Amino acid sequence: MPLALLLLSALSLPAHAQSGNADAAKGKVSMCIGCHGIPMYKTAFPEVYSVPKIAGQSPDYIVKALQEYRAGERSHPTMRGIARGLTDQDMADVAAYYGGTKEAK
Amino acid sequence: MKNLLVLAAFSFASACVCAPALAAGDAASVEEKAKTCAACHGALGNAPTGPDFPRLAGQHQDYLLKALKDYKSGARKNPIMGAQVGGLSAQDMADLAAYFSSQKGSLHVIR
Repeated sequence: MPLALLLLSALSLPAHAQSGNADAAKGKVSMCIGCHGIPMYKTAFPEVYSVPKIAGQSPDYIVKALQEYRAGERSHPTMRGIARGLTDQDMADVAAYYGGTKEAK
Repeated sequence: MKNLLVLAAFSFASACVCAPALAAGDAASVEEKAKTCAACHGALGNAPTGPDFPRLAGQHQDYLLKALKDYKSGARKNPIMGAQVGGLSAQDMADLAAYFSSQKGSLHVIR
């Protein structure tokens, strides 16, 4: 394979190495739906604001958000706690589950 | 002195009355500012141009506003967004949050 082609394929790799499996996420999203599965649900602590809609979101963005919570770079206490219990594979699976849904409302 | 107190009380009352209307955001006048956002978040915030850029269209207004405020305060760190919010006023952020939350997009709620 020519070097240029090799470099090109390396560049086109997705941002996260893990490939997500939406079916595998079905046993993992129970902790998401308590907040993100309720329309117009609001966080009560430490500030009151609407829990973001995550279905239909970019899968790589969901992974990045979870990684930032796990690393302590984003501040929501509940999300930090949840993200600390997730492996990279869990995050990729959850992202595939929510990001993979095509239904729009 | 009494007049001053009355004036102060009146100003305070007006500020209380007007503040919520301002903070609610004006989606109609914000399309120009939103063009900058479209470079990454896509037209109307629903077609991100990079795999890890979020969709904004239809997202909750108060969540979008919180994200912008957190970028502004440094509570949330991102090199691109940190640079973008530097030039935004509180009114700009309220306007942009209102604008993008009112767009139709793919974001929704599932169990």
